[in-house]
Amino acid sequence: MIDFSAYGVHTPEVYAHKCPSCGKLFYPAPMICSDCGERRDPSGIIFKDWDTISLSGECTLLAWTRVYALPEGYEMQYLLFGIVEFPNGLRASGRLKVDQPDTGMKLNATVEIMDNSKGKEFDGFVFELMV
Amino acid sequence: MREVSIVGIGHTVFGNLSDFDLVDVMGFASGNALDDAGIREEREIIEQVFVANMGGGILNHQTGIASSLVSRMDMEPAMAELIENGPASGASAVKMGYMAIASGMVDVVMVTGGELMRTVTGWEGTDFVASLLHPEAEYNYGLTLPAYGGMFTRMYMERYGLTERDLGLVAVKDHQNGEKNPYAHVRVPCTIDAIHDNENAHVINNYIAEPLRMYGMCPVSDGAASLILCANDSPKMKYFTKEKPILISGIGSATDTHCVHNRKDPLILDAVRLAAERAYAMAELKPADISFAELHDAFVILELAISEEIGFFPRGKAAEAVRNGVTAIDGAKPVNTSGGLKSKGHPVGATGVSQVFELVKQLREQGEEGRQVKNPKHGMAVNFGGFGNNVVAIICSKGEE
Repeated sequence: MIDFSAYGVHTPEVYAHKCPSCGKLFYPAPMICSDCGERRDPSGIIFKDWDTISLSGECTLLAWTRVYALPEGYEMQYLLFGIVEFPNGLRASGRLKVDQPDTGMKLNATVEIMDNSKGKEFDGFVFELMV
Repeated sequence: MREVSIVGIGHTVFGNLSDFDLVDVMGFASGNALDDAGIREEREIIEQVFVANMGGGILNHQTGIASSLVSRMDMEPAMAELIENGPASGASAVKMGYMAIASGMVDVVMVTGGELMRTVTGWEGTDFVASLLHPEAEYNYGLTLPAYGGMFTRMYMERYGLTERDLGLVAVKDHQNGEKNPYAHVRVPCTIDAIHDNENAHVINNYIAEPLRMYGMCPVSDGAASLILCANDSPKMKYFTKEKPILISGIGSATDTHCVHNRKDPLILDAVRLAAERAYAMAELKPADISFAELHDAFVILELAISEEIGFFPRGKAAEAVRNGVTAIDGAKPVNTSGGLKSKGHPVGATGVSQVFELVKQLREQGEEGRQVKNPKHGMAVNFGGFGNNVVAIICSKGEE
């Protein structure tokens, strides 16, 4: 019997990009490596596209806010946002799901499928308490 | 390079002008600038028009705005271009005007900045400004400029011990100036008791992006401002005898990373510091020489952070200066004499032009009673685009007596 349960299932991921020449990591993807000048070709036609590394897991909260005036397209009363740093030095902004955030706390970055203000789905970070 | 002076200034009221057409609003400010420059019939001496606007295409469904303004003002065949640099579009357009004249290409330029943001809801307006953030790594999440303002404020508080009361004092000072500015959007009195000290202060001063409250944010405004620029060595200077020309003595601008999280220290605003350093170098001036400044306080924290980054105060010390009245209108270093973005308002494309309008007004000593800086020599404007990823600084000087 053929198992169709995994057919078309999208596993949400956010990727860091790795310079093929010097190995420096970036998030989000640049078009040029700031260390060695290597170019990136997202089409993969002229050069091979850069390797990607899935970004998630343990991180440290650097800054956070609770925003009550959300853009058009959001129905909730407020959203929490944060900036985190991963152990590899990369940083990211994302949604924060912690009731009492505290700068410097250790969090777990997970990736979920969410909607932007225009209702378009994207894979984005949710920063939660470590379990 | 040729020296360039400002020979005419115009402004509309800032506020809700959503019943009007964007180009009409810009045209009204332009007409005021022409009148102030003493130009009525000789409009053909304006060779180039730069229009600053960020969202005409999105908010008002209008494009080709610079050509439209020239036609509505009967200024054909003047050359015309639109300058879009986010909330720093205004000062960028002034910079382009300066460059066009300094290069020798033209002698006289009109710079007009304008924005109609109240044509959409506040939520749509917030979404529109947020579209300048990184689409994938910032905007998608629902992050906005106020969200970054809130996070920046928290980092600053945790590092330097800034309090919510200090932030309130910046708003109080801005409103004291804005109340007396006939062009300002929010001309209501604001006291520290009403917005902070009173036990019910939170009722009118609720959180918007913690720890930033309502009185820590600029309003969403409509409006326009306009300037006429002329080369000091041009024979056309003879047309402009009505007011004393005010010299553009220094201009600098710089960029920084698109994503705020990619800055080594997100509390250090490199583009602000570099823009100011470049302007100081061109003007051959130091921070101590600047008599007063218009700083981009879209969030009150930015007035403090920018004033430190441009060398007025050491890092973490700006709040102390505010507490001691140093930045008040009668202080040693008045900041946001117009009321700033906080009280005067922030029609994004108009703001940089409006800041320079205020420099000229102060340097001509035409400020209204109670908001004229005493004996000003040099004024500085800092127009902050993105969350500090494109910043323009302009210094204007009174010149020789």
